[in-house]
Amino acid sequence: MPADPNMKILVVDDMSTMRRIVKNILKQLGFNNLEEAENGQDALTKLHADTYGFVVSDWNMPVMMGIDMLRAIRADEKLKKIPVLMVTAEAQKENLMEAVQAGVSNYVVKPFTAETMQDKINKIFK
Amino acid sequence: MAQPRVTPKAQEALDEDEQTGKAPDAKLYEELGELARFIDTTMKTLSEFSAPVNASTEQLPQAQTHLLNLKTQTEQGTHRVMLEVEAIQENHVQANKMLKDIAQALQHASVDPGLIQQMHALGQTLGQNDKRLLDIMTALSFQDLVAQSVNKLVTILDEVEHRLLQLVVVFGPYQKQAAKTDQSKASEMLKQLEATKNTSMDQDLADEILKQFGFN
Repeated sequence: MPADPNMKILVVDDMSTMRRIVKNILKQLGFNNLEEAENGQDALTKLHADTYGFVVSDWNMPVMMGIDMLRAIRADEKLKKIPVLMVTAEAQKENLMEAVQAGVSNYVVKPFTAETMQDKINKIFK
Repeated sequence: MAQPRVTPKAQEALDEDEQTGKAPDAKLYEELGELARFIDTTMKTLSEFSAPVNASTEQLPQAQTHLLNLKTQTEQGTHRVMLEVEAIQENHVQANKMLKDIAQALQHASVDPGLIQQMHALGQTLGQNDKRLLDIMTALSFQDLVAQSVNKLVTILDEVEHRLLQLVVVFGPYQKQAAKTDQSKASEMLKQLEATKNTSMDQDLADEILKQFGFN
């Protein structure tokens, strides 16, 4: 199923520059309904308050790490089916394995290109 | 009755005492005195390090501030570039819309097909520029990597500052020949240092420790 351009997407990153970059890329890819959160805890609050179709999250954040947020999403009956794309500088194999075991939908390593982001989104929603 | 076992080292000392004619207690007292003088010299030598340690400790918060300023400046600069990129992207959206409208109008007006082709070529050029603008946008993710490296450096400096302050606390009372009350205060400060080990240390605590040991 192709991605719905009107679905609400939550961009989670503690760095305002990265949130802006990811939102810009998603906008260029045709997605217009974009929201943002500063950490995993903030994201979980927003995910419970509204209906989201997709989450793009950083790994390394204060308050709650992306991997912990992912585990919380997968353990939550209401949220567990939301696709989660991890965008991270943590390129170590162990981190990737940890994310896969936690139920990540796909994984993008920084620095990345818009094409990589599009390719990963296409694979998630194919 | 069995004789107590004597180690070779102890036997050697007993033999030496016998030769010098000294009683074992006097010999032990003499050796303890030697040991006390050695510890005293060592402590004095270590206390000589307190000045450079203090200088380094005082400079570390400045280094942290410089690093955090660097992070803030790169963040502000990145946002500034992003603002411009987003403005150009928005202009391109408007320009593309206008180009399409003009191309359609020209088709209905039966103008030179070459002119319409030029309009299409212009649209393609704008599209290529859009791709470049997106590349500029994604290239700005360098700022996130810079920020992460800066954060790691700040954490390391924080840890180094903790360790240096521990040295100041441990050797400070000795150097200044502080009273017992100062020593108990040193213990309290060590506890506070330990409590802040995994968090950012309060600057007031660092200043207080340095002040207590005569560093301003």
